[in-house]
Amino acid sequence: MPQYQQPPSWRLEGGGQILDLETAVKDGILGGGAGGCGLGSATCEKVDLKKMIEELEPVEDVPSVFICPISLEPMVDPVTLCTGQTYERFNILKWLSMGHLTCPTTMQELWDDAVTPNRTLHQLIHAWFSQRYLRFKKRSEDVQGRAAELLETLKKVKGQARVQALKELQKMAVDHSSVQKTVADYGGVALLTSLLGPFTSHAVGSEAIGILVNLSLDSEAKVNLMQPAKISLVVDMLNEGTIDTKINCTRLIEMLMGEKDFRSEIVSSLSLLAGLMRLAKDRRHPNGTWTGLSLLKTICSHERVRGLIVSVGAVSQLVELLPNLSPECLELALHILDDLSTIPEGRVALKDCPRTIPNAVRLLMRVSESCTQYALSILWAVCKLAPDECASLAVEAGLAAKLLLVIQSGCSPELKQRSAELLKLCSLNYTATLFISKCKLTRTIQ
Amino acid sequence: MFAELTRETGQNTYSMISMLSLAFEGMGSFCSRQKPYSEADAEENEQAAEIERRIAQETKAEQHIHKLLLLGAGESGKSTIFKQIKLLFQTGFDEAELRSYTSVIHANVYQTIKILYDGAKELGQNESDSSKYVVSIENKEIGEKLSAIGSRLDYPYLTKDIAHEIKTLWKDAAIQETYARGNILQVPDCAQYFMENLERLSEADYVPTKEDVLYARVRTTGVVEIQFSPVGESRKSGEVYRLYDVGGQRNERRKWIHLFEGVTAVIFCAAISEYDQMLFEDETKNRMMETKELFDWVLKQACFEKTSFMLFLNKFDIFEKKVQKVPLNVCEWFKDYQPKASGKHEVEHAYEFVKKKFEELYFQSTKPDCVDRVFKIYRTTALDQKLVKKTFKLVDETLRRRNLIEAGLL
Repeated sequence: MPQYQQPPSWRLEGGGQILDLETAVKDGILGGGAGGCGLGSATCEKVDLKKMIEELEPVEDVPSVFICPISLEPMVDPVTLCTGQTYERFNILKWLSMGHLTCPTTMQELWDDAVTPNRTLHQLIHAWFSQRYLRFKKRSEDVQGRAAELLETLKKVKGQARVQALKELQKMAVDHSSVQKTVADYGGVALLTSLLGPFTSHAVGSEAIGILVNLSLDSEAKVNLMQPAKISLVVDMLNEGTIDTKINCTRLIEMLMGEKDFRSEIVSSLSLLAGLMRLAKDRRHPNGTWTGLSLLKTICSHERVRGLIVSVGAVSQLVELLPNLSPECLELALHILDDLSTIPEGRVALKDCPRTIPNAVRLLMRVSESCTQYALSILWAVCKLAPDECASLAVEAGLAAKLLLVIQSGCSPELKQRSAELLKLCSLNYTATLFISKCKLTRTIQ
Repeated sequence: MFAELTRETGQNTYSMISMLSLAFEGMGSFCSRQKPYSEADAEENEQAAEIERRIAQETKAEQHIHKLLLLGAGESGKSTIFKQIKLLFQTGFDEAELRSYTSVIHANVYQTIKILYDGAKELGQNESDSSKYVVSIENKEIGEKLSAIGSRLDYPYLTKDIAHEIKTLWKDAAIQETYARGNILQVPDCAQYFMENLERLSEADYVPTKEDVLYARVRTTGVVEIQFSPVGESRKSGEVYRLYDVGGQRNERRKWIHLFEGVTAVIFCAAISEYDQMLFEDETKNRMMETKELFDWVLKQACFEKTSFMLFLNKFDIFEKKVQKVPLNVCEWFKDYQPKASGKHEVEHAYEFVKKKFEELYFQSTKPDCVDRVFKIYRTTALDQKLVKKTFKLVDETLRRRNLIEAGLL
């Protein structure tokens, strides 16, 4: 990264000449131009300062004397009280208007409610932020220039050189948001998309996707990416790549699915679905699990693909996965299983998996209302399909007690209604006394 | 001599004997009895040591050789891929090898024209609109003569005269009509190419070009292998591959099983253009159905549980043209195909449909614990050298990545 050399003095937009911080602090003098900074330029400097602070957010090592004790933010218009303490004008006026007549930090009573603008401090704050701002802008320009250079390179080179250029561009796009705009402006999206095809090597493809996924893609770009050959490539990389590549590919597909003309055939790929399941099951990478489940849930919303999802064995794999998932992932997984229970093959798969009922019962009233809702829906589907075998299994797993909990809880009325119906369904095979004993009422009361 | 002996590593007994023999030598008459014994023994031991060393070396080297198996039904393009690999990564074909194909090519020409002529006669008898299959009177004589030649065991050299006659017959309307119905006969795919190049093929000093060799059709029998190393950009020595090509017809498949151990990757060739053709060895069986069953069988083999599968959907160039005239539904496996558009989009749509079918088949035939093996589909035209090179580059990358992943480095 090129080093930005700070010149000893430089001119600012407002026309004031600012000395470097050391000199200003040492001598207490703010240079010749300070006189020209009357009220007018004070206002315009204030606007500039505000803009700079905003653009540089979050700044880390702001000197503590620049921070307003009330809001803990850098001061744009510092004013001093008679106690000598300095605050942001807006904040201290608000404090005073609330009827307090004390200095907020020293708690002294104010003998004079005048607020004096602290021009010295203002200049110092301005100088400090200007310095940072200019450095930031320069670095940004360098980066943007480099990005444009890389895009030009990509049009010409092949092989390893191409991979290297892509790698560098990807790193820059992740670190600097300004690069994203540059790439978009220089036709980078179309260029990167054109690199993806049936003969793209994994090395090139994974880097290109890594860049694309961080850009905002317009409709045209998305439609372009939805071509079968490109999607095949993305799916292949999802199956073979490192965890980062897998996550990028998943995110990219999710971005494409948001497009209004999206057709479900694009994701009707067994390789894709199997790959997503593999990603979701990978315990070593929890963020991968979440990403994979998230896309699966989005895909599941397309009814036509549900059959395919069931056919790759997703149901039993998801059920097995349930006990180990974090709450966010759990909600996703249950949502998917609930969607799958709407088709006959899904119901059969749920019924056939031995852990469905115990895992679902366990999750009732345990994590969140939506999880309970999904779990209940799944149990309902399974018990409706095969009441004789499933109802008894469910009751043995402690379903009855849980359902009573739901009914007594603050859940939504529909949920309670559902629970009541399920309870009724399960009790059909039992006598009253036997069922009550199964409900383990004493435990619920406890 | 002693210095030489001590250079042999790990041969303790041997050096001991040599030391002993030298010690005894210094003891005069006592060791004269020992000498012949230890020398003969020493030689034997040296040989045994040499053999053992060679075995150890080769076993170590073998582990770095990746075994690739070309499988597929008959005429799916396996041998063409094999030839392409030879051209790309080995020294290719020298003049002697090219010349060796001349007789094969000529044979292909005779076989083709015979099949067409006999086919025309058959269609003339059985079809309702038989008139269009009737060869013109002038050409009939040529036809009979060529048919007779074609049924001989060895064929004469293709002279200019015979070539001219064949060309005339080929141009006959009835023969062209028969060629259009080629799918119900066993017309080889190289037919058109050779017929169009008859002048060149019949030159007196004809030496087949590389392209001619690629088109030449010989039914593979037994197993053929080559060892090669695709040299990458960095010019470092890459992986070493050993590629095996086999016969695809039914009677050849019993020989496959001997090759199934320790295979890194199976390259399964499926000619997607044959959805309307019947098997050579069984004219009642559709070729695509045969490929489907064969692929299913191969996938289920226990020894391939960890093997990577590269599916080459081959003969795309023929598929492209055919799919616009012959709907995919004629094949039972593709009966639920619905055409969408026409022209180029239709071709893409049809190809994606076929690809999905194979993908479906893969997942149906794969047990849950095998799903982690690599499975990739490639669209190929085995005759196109550039395409095969690009495709193989991808295959190589995939296998190298797989290697690294298995070694825990990725």
